Amino acid sequence: MADTLAPVQPDSTWRRFFTQENVVTIVVGFIVAVAVILPLVVLLVSSFLVLDDMGFDSEWGFDNYVTLFTDRIIPKAMLNSLYVSSGTCLVSTVLGVSLAWINARTNSPGRDSIEPYNLIPFFLSPFVGAIAWHNLASPKVGLLNVWYRDLFGLDGEQYLLNVDTLWGVIWVTGIFFTPLVYLFVVGSLRRMDPSLEDSARTTGAGLLRTTLTITLPLVTPAILSGAIIVFVTSAGEFGVPFKLAAPYGWETLTTQIFTKAVGDDANHYMGATMSMVLGIITVLLIWVQRAYIAPRSYTTVTGKGFRPNVLDLGRWKWVAFGFNILYILVAVILPILCLAVVSLHPVWTAEIVPSDMSMNNYVKTLFWWEEDSIRAATDGIINSFILAFSGASIAMVLALVVSYMIHRTRGFGAKLLDFLCVIPIGFPGIVLAMGVLVTYIKTPIYATLWILLLGYITRFFPYGQRNIASIMLAISEELDQSSRMAGATWFTTLRRITIPLLKPGIFAGWVLLFVIFLRELSISIILYSTGTETLSVGVYYLANFENEALTSALSMTQTVVLLICIFIFRRVAGKEALTA
Amino acid sequence: MARAETKDEKYLVVDHLIKWFGSDRAVDDVSFSIEKGKFLTLLGPSGCGKTTTLMSIAGLHTIDSGEIRVGDVIYTSKEKKIFLAPEKRDIGMVFQSYAIWPHMTVAQNVAYPLEIRKIERVEIDERVDKVLALVGLTEMSDKLATQLSGGQQQRASLARAIVSNPLLLLFDEPLSNLDLKLREQMRVELKRIQNEVGITSIYVTHDQSEALVMSDEIIVMSKGQIEQRDIPLSVYSKPANGYVSQFIGVANLIEGTLAKKNKSGTGVADLNKTIKGLTCDCVLSSELESGDDVLVSIRPENISVSKKNTGGKGIKGKVDLAIFLGNCVDCRISSDGFEWKVLSHPRENLQQGDSVFLHLDPKHTLAVTP
Ligand SMILES: Nc1ncnc2c1ncn2[C@@H]1O[C@H](COP(=O)(O)OP(=O)(O)OP(=O)(O)O)[C@@H](O)[C@H]1O
Ligand SMILES: [Mg+2]
Repeated sequence: MADTLAPVQPDSTWRRFFTQENVVTIVVGFIVAVAVILPLVVLLVSSFLVLDDMGFDSEWGFDNYVTLFTDRIIPKAMLNSLYVSSGTCLVSTVLGVSLAWINARTNSPGRDSIEPYNLIPFFLSPFVGAIAWHNLASPKVGLLNVWYRDLFGLDGEQYLLNVDTLWGVIWVTGIFFTPLVYLFVVGSLRRMDPSLEDSARTTGAGLLRTTLTITLPLVTPAILSGAIIVFVTSAGEFGVPFKLAAPYGWETLTTQIFTKAVGDDANHYMGATMSMVLGIITVLLIWVQRAYIAPRSYTTVTGKGFRPNVLDLGRWKWVAFGFNILYILVAVILPILCLAVVSLHPVWTAEIVPSDMSMNNYVKTLFWWEEDSIRAATDGIINSFILAFSGASIAMVLALVVSYMIHRTRGFGAKLLDFLCVIPIGFPGIVLAMGVLVTYIKTPIYATLWILLLGYITRFFPYGQRNIASIMLAISEELDQSSRMAGATWFTTLRRITIPLLKPGIFAGWVLLFVIFLRELSISIILYSTGTETLSVGVYYLANFENEALTSALSMTQTVVLLICIFIFRRVAGKEALTA
Repeated sequence: MARAETKDEKYLVVDHLIKWFGSDRAVDDVSFSIEKGKFLTLLGPSGCGKTTTLMSIAGLHTIDSGEIRVGDVIYTSKEKKIFLAPEKRDIGMVFQSYAIWPHMTVAQNVAYPLEIRKIERVEIDERVDKVLALVGLTEMSDKLATQLSGGQQQRASLARAIVSNPLLLLFDEPLSNLDLKLREQMRVELKRIQNEVGITSIYVTHDQSEALVMSDEIIVMSKGQIEQRDIPLSVYSKPANGYVSQFIGVANLIEGTLAKKNKSGTGVADLNKTIKGLTCDCVLSSELESGDDVLVSIRPENISVSKKNTGGKGIKGKVDLAIFLGNCVDCRISSDGFEWKVLSHPRENLQQGDSVFLHLDPKHTLAVTP
């Protein structure tokens, strides 16, 4: 005699439709679909709305698109964006591929301990990087230039480096996006079956020839994927050109969108049109990457368990080592040290004065009860923590359900959801933010933290979704099914089996989103208003209206918090989390 | 509450089951039933719809037509618009991957179905101990799943499936991940445990020897349909058609026509199409009429070979290949373009190139529908 479960009552079709599984997944699927699709549709529609000269009425037309080419600034801005993206792409690819090769395939000393540091810029804010490099290498007050003049006894007009140019933008975004290429390529190099190279060697091909004819072609898809991601990410980057180029007369597409969204001559419809340009380019390139390049990455097919060939560089290994250290120096150590030094001075005069040093700037920015504290900074810190905490939590819940729909339920809507998760991944934050702005500007959530939360989650929840999905794909569906067969409902199965098994992925995804939200600038800068500043907006505010020293103090605070998060992330996600 | 207390015949009934995947019919109008306590095997090649049938019974997906019921509980019925959620079906299932939850110990895994049924802790512990003893895992009860060997995970999975005394036990190729030796051992073990607990079982496999050893009855499937249903001995010795005789064991299959039909279920087959001038006496496996196309199926062990043509009716052939297997010799003998597979006795001492004569035994020469 069987132990009775619940009384057996055949469900009618009508009741069957309202199972826990269906209700939860359909509701969440619908929310995600609306959150992603609505802003993009409204953005597209608004790009055809033309504002009249008075800025009150609007009518339909293509004028905005015409303006793209007839405007005094916009065509140049588009060209500048193209220069910056191409340059960044080149810098990041050269650095990323070299570093990946050194770390994956050579006997350069100390690789295991150095490697994690190569990834740090991935987690830090490029905007803060630009601020730091401005302090290091702007013509007048750049520390490096000051030292250069002191060393050679030159006058104040002479300088060695100048980052306040498009070249400076390329340099800073280049070193900050290097980890993107690095991650693609290092994985590909590590997973490559060494027998592919060995068999080339046995046919008599030399080392160089093998590298050029076998190794390089095999990792080319990974390099191209990384390069495309860098191209689109830098096209959407706002902070760096805003700090290093716009003030000196070089506008880019993103700085122009920003001007149209919040500036004195704000014209949201024109901003929407420029966002469309950026959005379309991005979508096209991401599509090329996914449709043509990613499927060609041969090396990922062969699976794990190989020990890749390690090349003995002889004495050159010290050159490789030096190169890697140099990268970490310019991308991590120098900027952070410079921020620290500048932040300790009351005002920065391009001179290190140990006797003047104090923590006053930190007090001003961190504690809002102090008299001369700066509200935007302190509010920014609090708001960012609220947003990061709640945003990461909500996004991971969505990510869990969406992953479940895509990889378990697979029914109605799964394909659409999978597609919806791809869109925001490559989409520039500033474009999505414009969409969110024009969609919700007339609703009560405008000018509250909710609109920021909405923008953050929509743009970034796919990152969390990927963390969960990769684990979900690795664990057998039969683990869930056997729980159902044991008599557990869908919800009990989720609670007792699925979620515990996914825990590492959920937590790693949560920390990753927390980090991303803490440093977010492109979305926040479009959607914030007085009282809802975020940490990065606080930095922006200080950079614009206060002195370099205060700015550096807040930047430093952000950087330290992020570094702590990276440490936690590596602890929970394990060494392989990113490189695998 | 009345459930499953029915007459012994027809405990589980699968009635005209159809399941589509896109434009494929994975299960194409399958009907069968099974008596209480019996062990039924679904046997067939990869992709023939075994798992789909099993999942339909389990309720892990919906069906497109038909009805499935156990006793008087209807699991699924398309016509009556009934679908019982999988967790309400009270089924124990053993999966191919074992599906032992890696974040729980063996004992926790086994206790899970009882916890879901809100049974008291004391009783749970008692029953878990009992069932772990039955499958021989008493010592392992506090180990995590990841610390178990394949065979042990298999046992744990079985323990979890039977601990709640379910109405039905379903197995989806549970032994296919084990190595040969362990597989053979587990077959016997599994069968013993099933006998002991007496739960009606449906077992899915593509391994014919597994099916022959374990089952009370076998259903041979192909392309979503049932080819034959019978006891293991009959499936082997009286295959219903060419497909079954080829799938189960090894058979020589010769195309021909039925020349003559006798009353006693025997006849004469004309195999001229394949081997010139050959006719043979045979047993008819099903309703065949003279003039029908038939396949003649002869097992290699039922052909005798000798170098002399005793009785003068032997089929002349030449040994192409003779592989010594210890207790027999596996030969390929060609005659008139047809290659016979024959198992001969080692004392015949056949060598490659020998001229030989084959003798068929009419009792073991079977005419089946192609
Ligand atoms: N979820 C699915 N979606 C689409 N087609 C499916 C799905 N599951 C099974 N099929 C198709 O249905 C057919 C039957 O599959 P099924 O899994 O039942 O085969 P099987 O007999 O269990 O094979 P195997 O021995 O390989 O496990 C196959 O052609 C398969 O491709
Ligand atoms: Mg199967």
